[in-house]
Amino acid sequence: MSRIAEIYLPSKAKVIDVIEMTPDSKLFMVMPEMPFKYKPGQFVMFSLWGVGEVPISIASTFGVQKHIELCVRRVGHVTSAIHRLKTGDDIGIRGPFGNAFPITNARGKDTLFVAGGVGIAPLRYLINEVIKNKKDFRRIELIYGSRNPSEILFMDDINSWQKKGINVVLTVDRKDKDWRGNTGIVTEHLNKAKVSFKDAHAFICGPSVMIKAVMQDISQLGMYEENIFTTLESHMKCGVGKCGHCYADGKYICIDGPVFSYREIRQYNLNCTP
Amino acid sequence: MNKIPTICPYCGCGCGLYLHVEDGNLTGVSPIRSHPVNKGTLCVKGWNSFEFIQHHERLKYPLIKVNGEFKRASWGEAIALIASKLTGIKRSYRPDSIAIMSSAKCTNEENYLMMKFARAVIGTNNIDHCARLCHSSTVGGLAETFGSGAMTNSISEIVSAKVLFVIGSNTTEQHPMIGMHMLDAVNRGAILIVADPRKTQISDFAHIHLRHRCGTDVVLLDSIMNVIINEGFVDIPFIRRRTENFDAFEKVILRYPPDVAEKITGVSSQDIKKAARIYAIEKRAMLFYSMGITQHITGVDNVHACANLCMLTAHIGQPMTGLNPLRGQNNVQGACDMGALPDVYSGYQKVSESDIKKKFEHLWRRRLPSRPGLTLTEMFDSILDGKIKAMYIMGENPLMSDPDVSHVKEALKKLEFLVVQDIFMSETAEFAHVVLPAATFAEKDGTFTNTERRVQKIRQAIEPVGESMPDWKIICALSKKMGYNMEYRATHEIMEEVALITPSYRGILHHRLDSNFGLQWPCHDLNHQGTPFLHRKKFTKGLGTFIPVDYIPPAEETDKRFPFLLTTGRIYFRYHTATMCQRTSTLEREYPECYAEINPKDADSLGIKGNSMMRVSSRRGSIIVRAQVTDKVPEGTIFIPFHFREASANLLTNPAVDPSAKIPEYKVCAVKIELVESKRDQKD
Amino acid sequence: MNKGMVLEKSKLSYWLRQLRKEMSLIGPMRGENSDIVFKTVENIHEIVLDCPASIPSPKEFLFPQKEKMFRYSKDGVENLRGNKGRLIFGVRSCDISAITLLDRFYGGKFVDDYYMSRRNNTIFISIGCNNPDITCFCIGLGSGPFLSSGFDIQLSDLGDRYLVEIGSKHGLEIIKDFIHLFSRPKKLDYDDQYEAILSSQARFEKRINLENARQKILSGQVNDSFWEVVAQRCFECGGCVYECPLCTCFNVIDRPYSPTDGVRLRVWDTCLFKGFTKMAGNIWPAEKKIMRTKRWYFHKLIYYPEQFGKFGCVGCGRCTITCPGRIDMATIASKIDMGDRRRKGGGG
Ligand SMILES: Cc1cc2nc3c(=O)[nH]c(=O)nc-3n(C[C@H](O)[C@H](O)[C@H](O)COP(=O)(O)OP(=O)(O)OC[C@H]3O[C@@H](n4cnc5c(N)ncnc54)[C@H](O)[C@@H]3O)c2cc1C
Ligand code: SF4
Ligand code: SF4
Ligand code: SF4
Ligand code: FES
Repeated sequence: MSRIAEIYLPSKAKVIDVIEMTPDSKLFMVMPEMPFKYKPGQFVMFSLWGVGEVPISIASTFGVQKHIELCVRRVGHVTSAIHRLKTGDDIGIRGPFGNAFPITNARGKDTLFVAGGVGIAPLRYLINEVIKNKKDFRRIELIYGSRNPSEILFMDDINSWQKKGINVVLTVDRKDKDWRGNTGIVTEHLNKAKVSFKDAHAFICGPSVMIKAVMQDISQLGMYEENIFTTLESHMKCGVGKCGHCYADGKYICIDGPVFSYREIRQYNLNCTP
Repeated sequence: MNKIPTICPYCGCGCGLYLHVEDGNLTGVSPIRSHPVNKGTLCVKGWNSFEFIQHHERLKYPLIKVNGEFKRASWGEAIALIASKLTGIKRSYRPDSIAIMSSAKCTNEENYLMMKFARAVIGTNNIDHCARLCHSSTVGGLAETFGSGAMTNSISEIVSAKVLFVIGSNTTEQHPMIGMHMLDAVNRGAILIVADPRKTQISDFAHIHLRHRCGTDVVLLDSIMNVIINEGFVDIPFIRRRTENFDAFEKVILRYPPDVAEKITGVSSQDIKKAARIYAIEKRAMLFYSMGITQHITGVDNVHACANLCMLTAHIGQPMTGLNPLRGQNNVQGACDMGALPDVYSGYQKVSESDIKKKFEHLWRRRLPSRPGLTLTEMFDSILDGKIKAMYIMGENPLMSDPDVSHVKEALKKLEFLVVQDIFMSETAEFAHVVLPAATFAEKDGTFTNTERRVQKIRQAIEPVGESMPDWKIICALSKKMGYNMEYRATHEIMEEVALITPSYRGILHHRLDSNFGLQWPCHDLNHQGTPFLHRKKFTKGLGTFIPVDYIPPAEETDKRFPFLLTTGRIYFRYHTATMCQRTSTLEREYPECYAEINPKDADSLGIKGNSMMRVSSRRGSIIVRAQVTDKVPEGTIFIPFHFREASANLLTNPAVDPSAKIPEYKVCAVKIELVESKRDQKD
Repeated sequence: MNKGMVLEKSKLSYWLRQLRKEMSLIGPMRGENSDIVFKTVENIHEIVLDCPASIPSPKEFLFPQKEKMFRYSKDGVENLRGNKGRLIFGVRSCDISAITLLDRFYGGKFVDDYYMSRRNNTIFISIGCNNPDITCFCIGLGSGPFLSSGFDIQLSDLGDRYLVEIGSKHGLEIIKDFIHLFSRPKKLDYDDQYEAILSSQARFEKRINLENARQKILSGQVNDSFWEVVAQRCFECGGCVYECPLCTCFNVIDRPYSPTDGVRLRVWDTCLFKGFTKMAGNIWPAEKKIMRTKRWYFHKLIYYPEQFGKFGCVGCGRCTITCPGRIDMATIASKIDMGDRRRKGGGG
């Protein structure tokens, strides 16, 4: 009998560092026992023994370092337990799963990234990837919104991106006394992007309400629906198209996604807003 | 792989199911297709009834509290400690300073032994169980009117009925399989009348939905009877031959014409008349009620009113014609039948009647107390008064189920000695001095009696986990240690004793229960085939008695400070205090937290939106729950399920009790509501 | 493959007894009263062959309601995959058709090793249905009452003997060593089988046209008010999913025995529950019952054909037995087909 791959069996990984990013999100540096290759937009199933397993997007860039980085927001049962992890703790990891952001077609075009909150994490790798091959792309812009200035994630990366010539628009919902920048939600700043919407590709990530609003707005600004991409969230248990939880209108978010174009989202009526 | 036929451990429908066993592990369940109640179906609880059994949090060995912490103990140590403590307390105070709580989750055999233990070994009638909290008004109320407090008909008759009148029962959710039979009947053309202040699933199918104000059931029923009398639908020959006390009753009824009722109940007089005519004219009319009727300070009155209605129209004593209280827990009927009540032995034989007492004394070879004991609701008061010193709780969690939780907590703390025997560490068990691990329904043999009086066998499918033991074995061991020999080789020997001394169970022996899914009591001898419907030819007590009932407003009415009515209840995915459901992933997931249903108009006026958090406070306490804005509840009323540990609705409810049945008023109390501003950013 | 043999009825029990020495034998046995349940065969002569449909479906042998996936401890994870050899005797044709489809579902890019390992160690001996149950409607779907392929071994009851058809390597395996028990089929045997098929077809009570229902849904003729009435009758029991041989959803739960030691289980789950899709932050994507009811029907009638070229229903009729709301596939599909939009959408 042929050997069958054990798709549900997590492999061991170690937490090698934990960085508190905001009051409710932490960045975990995780060293898998068996390293694997991954693409921007893919996710892993993060297992905590005795607690459960949740899907988390990979926030690091493949090839840069051996460990992977996972940015986790504390919202429920499993994520709260994840937040109690300390350096040196063992966890389980499965993956990578899901499709990836398609960037080949974006070559030679303007590229717009829109991120909200922790949504910046899954885009980070993609942005790095695009910057690495900067000459293949035209304008590259990022609009990134946070709840308040202290919750802006990956500030080091953002600075380095700006140095490399990316136009970054930061905005916060609520400013504090030191904040000089923009305020308001990201949709209010879409017009600051100097991309030619008709010919650009957009990659959006963030809370579902935001995603929906941004997709609508930029398609109204003239971008083609098939060029607008986002990653969807749904309840997930397996990550491999078997458990049925993420199934919606004929699509498995875990294997057919999580990255979908606005066109697909509308065509399949995928549930991206509650 | 084996499949063991047994009975669902959740509700009183008593559905038949198979437990699937492989190598000593439970791997699933499936419904019994030929079972007369569920016919190949199950509700979500039944389908998931296997998961909690081998749960890792099961109690696996006895625990003794030492310096405030539980320490693992051997059975020998635990039993010896309990025996010496109980004996000590019995000696230094008196037997009546000990109270026993039996359980509607346990088998008939276990309830019988528990009441034998209380009466013969301890020497007290202080034994009760949670039926007090749901159907004691039925047991008492129907005993006075008909002489027997049980469902008069069988579930399988429902489908052929012509009129179904459902009052105070959210049937499809609380007794799903009975609900299924009702919908089948409606499909076949039966007319469905539902009286319930809330919109429920069953009310969606009603031809007439009477949304009366909470706590006004008596007025509604009285006015229906008023119409029946005034429009000449009364069955006079029946009243002459079979009943008594009609005249006194009629006088009261005449005070409740529909237009008066309209003002009190909020139901239009037209609807009242329509319902009255439909119910009265059709012969095959079944009346159903549940906790919406019983859990009031007027619980017994409500039950009387239902009984009156049946007698008035002669809707009783025939197939598909009768009065059907739907009992909640899987074996609440059985626990009552077995005499886990302070005033009766098994088969509702009164402890105060001397021949009966003598009969039991003979069989048990002990002198027995003749004064009825304390009811469950009185037990906690007596602890605080210092009259009760020790308590033995089998398979109950009064800390969650009782009205006025803080009162119970105080009482439990005050006990000199508390033993809790359960399958999980319950909220109540935390307060115990000794905790004993009991076996679940899948790990023992015995019988359950469902709501239609069907005594059915449950069968052991797997070995008890850890060192846990079936409750009956624990009781036997403890009795023996206390110097009273209880020896049974298996549960059928206990049933044999029950049959010997209990007229209604006389023909019920285990070997007779194997075919045809048990027997319905009364079953008078070994050839008797059981009784599908009661009160044929005459009422159990002879003549049926009309008991006039007048309207008494709820103990607590709304006022300026507490302008809303709170009513509580169960939800479909949860069961009782949720000790079992919380350990079942699917059931737990559906309602992870407590919520309150509030009418859109009320929500608007308070600035409450769906999912806002609101603080609900009564005169006794306050809890914070999430709002569910829905027109399921009428204006001015909110509904909160009582299963949640973090937001226990019973912190709010009124411990006022029915004067005779001592059932607490879960269904109505006055509360106020405030919006709680959330700290978190609303946006995400 | 599909090679035929003939086995005299009197030799069946001998054959099974020999096979039982190698693998555990499961078959249709008497349960309570008139029930038939599949369980380990203690006494071969007690197998009930001409039986009504069993509930639940034999998917329980490949994908049990509760299954331990693996154990974790300080020393790592240990796969607890079941791989006991099992012979399942007396399965019906519709269920074999379902399993053929399940093989495709659990296979694919990611192979479900729990299912596959059980599957590779399980042999099914199915039997053509001479007497379909009143709830059966495989006939309109080509998934029964007799199959021409997809089975390991198919028996056709020809009165005094069985026509034994071998449809797979597995099937051949369990015949090979006992070839002396079987004889070569003659034309008469095939004629008799054909007669059995004809007479079975004539006994079907139900003929449900799922394709018509699909077309009506696709062309937008079935509106939400229809589904609203269907959903209203749903008890949210999950029975339709638990019973259906083609429903595959599961939930995953952890059972810690100690802080470092425990097992991960999977248990059947159903899309009829609103918690099935709930997300953190109090988000309930399918809070309304109608969304879930529609999802179940759409998956079976629309998406299954898109993905597999076949309906997600083999007409086994189990949901008809088990649905307390009487909104099973047969009832609803025929309502859609017949264009019944009366208020009493579901039921009766
Ligand atoms: C493809 C993908 C990528 C994601 N990437 C990230 C990330 O990079 N960082 C991050 O903080 N979060 C991410 N999430 C969301 C994260 O998975 C959920 O917040 C998490 O599952 C919540 O689990 P919980 O146990 O804390 O919540 P609870 O509310 O207690 O949920 C209980 C169970 O429900 C399921 N569940 C609930 N909400 C979700 C959800 N939103 N998505 C999937 N399953 C859910 C899980 O199985 C969870 O164990 C991602 C989700 C998806 C689908
Ligand atoms: S209806 Fe009651 S007895 Fe039947 S399966 Fe559900 S909980 Fe169990
Ligand atoms: S949908 Fe119903 S009839 Fe069809 S295969 Fe599933 S259970 Fe059987
Ligand atoms: S079997 Fe019927 S009632 Fe139960 S979940 Fe399925 S559709 Fe709903
Ligand atoms: S997460 Fe299991 S099917 Fe997608």
